[in-house]
Amino acid sequence: MKNKNLTYYALLFLIIVLSSCKNEGEYHSVSDRIKAEEKPYHGTLTSEELLAGRDLIKITEGEHTFLIPERKSQIKSFACIECHSKPLSQMKGTDKAKAHWDITINHANIETMDCATCHNGEDMNNLKSLTGRNIDFNLSYKLCAQCHTTQFEDWKGGAHGKKISGWTPPRASMTCVECHNPHDPGFKQRWPAQFNTKKAIERNEGLDH
Amino acid sequence: MSENKKWYSLDLGLNKKKGSSGSCGCGKTEGGCNSHKEELSAEEFYEAAINASIGEERHKDGFEQVFDVKMDRRTAFKKLTASLLIGAGAVSTSCSLTTSGDAKEKAQIDWEEQFKGNYKLMTDDEKKKTVDRLMRSYELRTGKNISMTAENAAEDVLFGYAFNISKCQGYMDCVSACVEENNQDRNSEMQYIRIHEMKDGEGFKFDKADDNYYHEVPQEGHFYMGTQCFHCDDPPCVDVCPVQATWKEEDGLVVIDYDWCIGCRYCMAACPYDGRRFNWSKPEVPENEVNKNQHYLGNRMRKKGVMEKCTFCVQRTRKGKNPACVEACPTGARIFGNLLDPNSSIRWVLENKKVFRLKEDLGTEPKFWYFMD
Repeated sequence: MKNKNLTYYALLFLIIVLSSCKNEGEYHSVSDRIKAEEKPYHGTLTSEELLAGRDLIKITEGEHTFLIPERKSQIKSFACIECHSKPLSQMKGTDKAKAHWDITINHANIETMDCATCHNGEDMNNLKSLTGRNIDFNLSYKLCAQCHTTQFEDWKGGAHGKKISGWTPPRASMTCVECHNPHDPGFKQRWPAQFNTKKAIERNEGLDH
Repeated sequence: MSENKKWYSLDLGLNKKKGSSGSCGCGKTEGGCNSHKEELSAEEFYEAAINASIGEERHKDGFEQVFDVKMDRRTAFKKLTASLLIGAGAVSTSCSLTTSGDAKEKAQIDWEEQFKGNYKLMTDDEKKKTVDRLMRSYELRTGKNISMTAENAAEDVLFGYAFNISKCQGYMDCVSACVEENNQDRNSEMQYIRIHEMKDGEGFKFDKADDNYYHEVPQEGHFYMGTQCFHCDDPPCVDVCPVQATWKEEDGLVVIDYDWCIGCRYCMAACPYDGRRFNWSKPEVPENEVNKNQHYLGNRMRKKGVMEKCTFCVQRTRKGKNPACVEACPTGARIFGNLLDPNSSIRWVLENKKVFRLKEDLGTEPKFWYFMD
């Protein structure tokens, strides 16, 4: 009797196993499909066209190699030594001291950071790490990564920040300073962009610009 | 229905029904019925009941379901009237000596568009022809040119999306970019994306969330998260469509053939994520704001009475770009990529962040993950 029952159970089990099998190309979950079909993408679609005409630098951080935009040519008053011909200590008190009047630091607090935390008073053309080593303006992310380590990890992997490229290789990521003003890095409160509502009102009032 | 007849054939009931096919009552085509016991199991009974009620229709594709059915002459003529009206219009314009060449061409295009097949069944050549017709038709109507494509899914690509809840600040730049990119109706203020403003400490409560806020953001004590079509790997909206006007493409995009949709809105009811939208009125976009880079399955102009939804910007993503929302997001909360590529950012997010999906227990397998820093 017991044996008969066991046979039935075994049969039932077999039927369930067989009937739950899916056809080829069908998967139980999307993660199964990803596991089964994964393959580094070398297709015809690329981001080359999107990146054409942009000045990019290739960097390797850990196991990630990708492109970032060149920065120095985007800085209005670069090179710094065009004005900073003498060390900072000797320039104090001259009228040139007001040159950077529009910069107020709103980044951590004064006990943690001041201008000299990142800028090198002896060599204004370069940034400076916490240990006093030079950091190129093009690689300013290294400066941020000294404190913001988790963000740096996410950025390397592609989870933090934005891309210049599309989803296709080669990957080109924006650096920290493309979105965050290094002197005031927080995002500000503002009105949301509501395309329809605003546009509709503008159109009714003839303010279409 | 013969194999090589691809589209439709009107059966006015003149042909006598031939003997039933080789399948037996239990609905199986292979294996004998003898192996079954006398009484039917629940599943077999269910099968048999369905076969008895709708029979062949289950196995037919959308067009055949509508056209390859037996009907009396009265119904058949009734059903033909709509098409005949167009036909009459086409004939009167094309035979008239006074109408211009443009009008004739327009009537010809309307005629061919009316009787084209389901996009899903078209060959590449047929896809190109319909796209060319639609472009020419737009040119004839507005005098402006658009560029429309019908790119197929690329190989070794499966699109996926990730959304960082801790980064979203509720700026709604994504919503705005989406409306512009996808030529959504301005009158009804259609939006594919909803950004929900939720109270801190209360978790996901969509009934209490505000998705139509207009005040400065981010608001103290709130967090923001976006929803849109999640392009499920097992999409319930596709299963319920009675005419197969919506389906899942090879690259995972769930798309709609706007010319095949009959506007029954079953899919809207079936979607557990409120991902689908219906055009209650004729969608209108001012001519100077129309995005002229279009895809047949994407942002081409829709008509009244059809469904539409997010397509992950098929017109952009099948060219290698990111969707408009990803590009517009000022906070980098949106990640898009190829799930099959182990080197892609989306894969890094899935493997290194703690991700989850909405209503995962439904088994719809959305390809849209949420994560936090």
